[in-house]
Amino acid sequence: MEKRFICGRCDFTAGYHYKGRQPPFANSIMLLEDCYIMKDPFSTFGGFITIGGNCSLCFKDVCVSADCSLFYTQRFCLKCAYLNLKEFPKTLQQEILSRTNWDDKS
Amino acid sequence: MPSHKRKKKHLKHKHDKTRQSSKQHPNSRTRSSSRSSSRSRSRSSSRSNIDCDYGTKNLKCKERIRPRSRSTSDSDEGLRKNSFSRSHSKSNSFLEGLNTNDNKHSRSCDKREFSKQKADIESPVATPLDWNFDFRKFKYSLGKIFLTDKYFSKITDRGSQEHDDFWAFVSRYQDFQKKKLQRSQGSNMCEDSNEEKPGLQLGLPQKYDVQYKVNISFRSKEFDIFLKKNRLVDHQLEKELTRDRVIQFRTILIHFLDFQQKQKFQKLHKIQHDQRNLPIYMYKQEIVDTLKKYQVVVVAGDTGCGKSTQVPQYLLEAGYEKIACTQPRRIACISLSKRVGYETLNEYGSQVAYQVRFEKSKTAATKVLFLTEGLLLRQMTTDPLLEMYSVIVIDEVHERHIFTDFLLGVLKCILMQRKDLKLVLMSATINIGLFSGYFNNAPVIKVPGRLYPIELEYCPITRDDTSDSRRLDPTPYLRVMQKIDHKYPSSERGDLLIFLSGMSEIMSVVEAARAYAQQMKRWIVLPLHSALSVEEQDKVFDIAPEGVRKCIVSTNIAETSVTIDGVRFIVDSGKVKEMSFDPKYKMQRLQEFWISRASSEQRKGRAGRTGPGVCYRLYDEADYNDFQDYSTPELQRVPLDSLILQMISMGLPDARKFPFIEPPSISSLENSIQFLKEQGALTSDESLTPTGQMLSMLPVDVVIGKMLIMGSIFNMIDPILSITAAMSVQSPFTNKAYTDSEAMTARKPLESDHGDPFTLLNAFDEWIQVKAQGQGTRKWSKRRGLEEQRFYEMMKLKRQFSDLLRDHHLLDGGEPTQRYLSSEQRRAQHGERKRLAQLRKEKMRERKRRKVLTLEDEEYKISDEEEDSKEGDIKDLEFRLSNDLSQLQETSNRSRSLTLRDVNLVKIILCSGLYPQVAIADECNTYKRDSEQAFHTKSKPFLLLHPTSTFAANPDVLMPKDAGGKRPAPSDLKGLMSAKHELFAYVSLLETNNKPYLVNTMRVPALQTVTLFSNCIDTNSDCTRLLCDGWLELKFPEAETAEKVITSILTLRSTWYALLKVSLLDEASAEIWGQFTHGMQRHWICPGCGVAMVVSVLERLQHQAACSGEGGEGLKATEAAEEEKEKEKELNPHRKPYHCQDCGETLSLTTTEILRHRKSHSAGTSASN
Repeated sequence: MEKRFICGRCDFTAGYHYKGRQPPFANSIMLLEDCYIMKDPFSTFGGFITIGGNCSLCFKDVCVSADCSLFYTQRFCLKCAYLNLKEFPKTLQQEILSRTNWDDKS
Repeated sequence: MPSHKRKKKHLKHKHDKTRQSSKQHPNSRTRSSSRSSSRSRSRSSSRSNIDCDYGTKNLKCKERIRPRSRSTSDSDEGLRKNSFSRSHSKSNSFLEGLNTNDNKHSRSCDKREFSKQKADIESPVATPLDWNFDFRKFKYSLGKIFLTDKYFSKITDRGSQEHDDFWAFVSRYQDFQKKKLQRSQGSNMCEDSNEEKPGLQLGLPQKYDVQYKVNISFRSKEFDIFLKKNRLVDHQLEKELTRDRVIQFRTILIHFLDFQQKQKFQKLHKIQHDQRNLPIYMYKQEIVDTLKKYQVVVVAGDTGCGKSTQVPQYLLEAGYEKIACTQPRRIACISLSKRVGYETLNEYGSQVAYQVRFEKSKTAATKVLFLTEGLLLRQMTTDPLLEMYSVIVIDEVHERHIFTDFLLGVLKCILMQRKDLKLVLMSATINIGLFSGYFNNAPVIKVPGRLYPIELEYCPITRDDTSDSRRLDPTPYLRVMQKIDHKYPSSERGDLLIFLSGMSEIMSVVEAARAYAQQMKRWIVLPLHSALSVEEQDKVFDIAPEGVRKCIVSTNIAETSVTIDGVRFIVDSGKVKEMSFDPKYKMQRLQEFWISRASSEQRKGRAGRTGPGVCYRLYDEADYNDFQDYSTPELQRVPLDSLILQMISMGLPDARKFPFIEPPSISSLENSIQFLKEQGALTSDESLTPTGQMLSMLPVDVVIGKMLIMGSIFNMIDPILSITAAMSVQSPFTNKAYTDSEAMTARKPLESDHGDPFTLLNAFDEWIQVKAQGQGTRKWSKRRGLEEQRFYEMMKLKRQFSDLLRDHHLLDGGEPTQRYLSSEQRRAQHGERKRLAQLRKEKMRERKRRKVLTLEDEEYKISDEEEDSKEGDIKDLEFRLSNDLSQLQETSNRSRSLTLRDVNLVKIILCSGLYPQVAIADECNTYKRDSEQAFHTKSKPFLLLHPTSTFAANPDVLMPKDAGGKRPAPSDLKGLMSAKHELFAYVSLLETNNKPYLVNTMRVPALQTVTLFSNCIDTNSDCTRLLCDGWLELKFPEAETAEKVITSILTLRSTWYALLKVSLLDEASAEIWGQFTHGMQRHWICPGCGVAMVVSVLERLQHQAACSGEGGEGLKATEAAEEEKEKEKELNPHRKPYHCQDCGETLSLTTTEILRHRKSHSAGTSASN
């Protein structure tokens, strides 16, 4: 049965079919993190959509939306990214600051 | 340079397909050790383990990063990958360490694989690669290296969207990288230092590279082989495709995969985001909870609140499974089902489906079904309590269509019997109390719409120059345009929408506005009404160029049916022309009314869809307050024939007692019941006759339905199908057809002397001929002022009608047997199919961009370029593929070669539906062009020919035939006895501008029509005078002729009735009977009169009919006629009384042939009014 993924930050929710690195619907694809994967509902041909993953620091489920998480060799929810801002290269720091909302900053 | 060497070593001995595996390599040892111990280790101890790890790694990192600082390359992939892999695997172990109890995060699946392929792809060159390489030239080879897996098969498929997307991405990516390279060379600024900053714990690469943000990679065996051997096993690679380039391409491909994932997620995210931003989202829980508590809930929300798309989804989510959502319009069903399917991520499943009259996508898996109101009602004939549904949602109840009102009444009854059934009524915020009250004060949930503020200005028209009251004065409208020009800078976008009552009003405003626009060059004036061609209508959706506004001059079509974005200004005339129905004369009346307050608000609202707007009302506020609250519901404006027929067939025998939400007038009900009786659909006690039974099953108008039934009985189905289809769609003649003299001349050959139905038939057949000859039908249609779209619709309807008849066994044969095609034909067909697919694709893309109008666009010109219309081409190809043109041509040839006899039969069939809609010409008609000819019906004197009628252009064909070719003085005609007197059967009466018109008229022979179809004939004692249906009188000069005529009339009528009975009651056996009627004779004792005889089936039926009197036909004959009937019984049916010797000889005529035959011989008697 289809399980449900709920983003811990934005309430985005969707059913997912698989969690892991090798989506069963695409043999040659490998993911660099464990992801929540759903079959691509927009195509008759197959394919998949990565909808979310776990934050590597707080392990929260987060969706891959730009407002919720960031992948930089591993996934960070934006709150963790903000808390560990110094760990990121400068360019990315700016990006993180612009993406994080006020709740995270306060 | 130790690191460099090391890299080379990597390349030689180890290689990797993925960065994913590469991240394993530097400390696979660490990783495995941490893993093996992590389960039992405490959190702190694992951290310490990591810390020590970290140290060694940092060392490595420094060592390796050094050469990078020297290179200016942004794409030194190997380096990036190394540093990345280190930090990543580090973080992995860190992660695992933290997660001792949670093996969710451990990766055991592909560990072995990783270690097997642990290597990096590194660039051996120190100089950076440029991005100028044209990978497109090597599609095939690159495909061989990377894209052999099934997952990529779409990319390699050259016709596919993904293929195009991918290569577009490649060039975009290369362009981007080129620019980036230039920028970085120009500034040579490197923001991120490569130096280790102290105190960092996560070990993230400090030299930023976009590659680290990608979380996807792929494997390819061929690529491995290429890395190992610098070539592929079975494919010779071009020499330009160097190792570096191949690796570069791999980067692009990975970025594409990442991009694709992000794009798809974005799509998913946007759906949910948009859903949550709809005003109705706030009420989701309330709606679901209320429905749990109550049986009926009213959801009232204005346009744009999202109720139509969201409520069905809320119900689905709440666990309801059999959800029916009705819509008043068919198109809305299809588009909503698509939209909701998309939003529930079921675009390709059938969980959300639609079902309309002739089409459905519903399957057993369907949970939400969008269907038309009419269809839901029809389903009740087989499922009276609608047990196939658990929730019924009725959308747009406020529109109050005839079926909406009926459905509400029926559901009110069903709800009492089915306590488990839920009902959701969805309406605009109009008249909510009425709906709620009708269902015992059902709870109402009000949802605000999403509208921007609209400024309101009343500018009533001062009536000082009302000299020409017939024509609308455009000045007030121009004044508003000027006002807009003065007040709002042209840089502020926003179009103007003017609501007028009708076409002529639109014309006069458009004319004046165009003159103004010419002068100002700031406006594009576009009319919008239903008589325009589809292309012309579509223009209103195009975008005006910068600094120019669209001025759309529309009927109330833009009030609800057509939604135009970008409208900022509204001018509301406050008028509407509405069809009302006068049940007394069965006449439709197009009259101008003040609009209701509800629709005036609706018009205003059209300004605030995309931004704040302004609405100018060209009436007083006092007028507004005097407006009716709501528009009159359809139920009170249209004939109720079909509705009543359906009610009776559904087991609601008395429409007068039906609990209508707002009942129609009693006279309207009574008139319809009377009409149905006259049509032979109802018996005198208001139950269904066999004809009525059949008619109630055909989802078409009673008149049309009857024609179809008769057409199939008399084997004259093809022309009847064409004509009925033409009557059911909008007329193909555009208004240009009557104004453009060229079009009129070009159309001349299509016009038929017999009347408008035949002109329509000719036009349609000719169109098929032109199509079959492979010529451009678009141009052909345009030249003649015809709207081609209508012919396609007719074609579709024709097929649907014949399917319907076949379903009810009125037409034999299934689909025509498989056609045999030569290989050449097959090839041609394949080509067409391919071209169709391509055109559709192109059109889809085009649709995404709206065309930009030019100032000249308002002129509608006949252009010879056919190629510009893809729409037309698509239609044409679809048509060719779904129809066998040669076969169509054949049938159309047949209908061209209709003999007079056939034409007469067609007329009789049409009359069988149309009667009593006949008119007789006034005796004083001059039949001159440019003078009006008057006609009278039983109830309404002095009707005129509609200007669009064939006869209006050629009134001379209407001249009485016995006048000997001369134009007789009206006084001569008076009282003239004529054997060829004609009546005019019409499809409808229409009153516009206070003039009553006959619409769609056809000449029919008077005597035959009247005597065959009237419901009651009174005669004098020797039958020389017949008074038909109480208003048409026939006189015979001699009693002998009269006798003969009466005899044949009676024979025919009883045969006709018998035939109908056989065809409709005993559908299956009817055919056989038809064939063996004459061969099979048997002994039979009539139960009516007890006489034993040897008869054929036909004779038996005739006898039965005669014996049982007039039967359901309602034939009311006088005593004299009774006598005639006695005589008739003795008469051999062969003894056709009059004319034609043939008849005397061909004794073994089938019933059909008798009737058909009879039509062609019908002279020799005289009739007069």
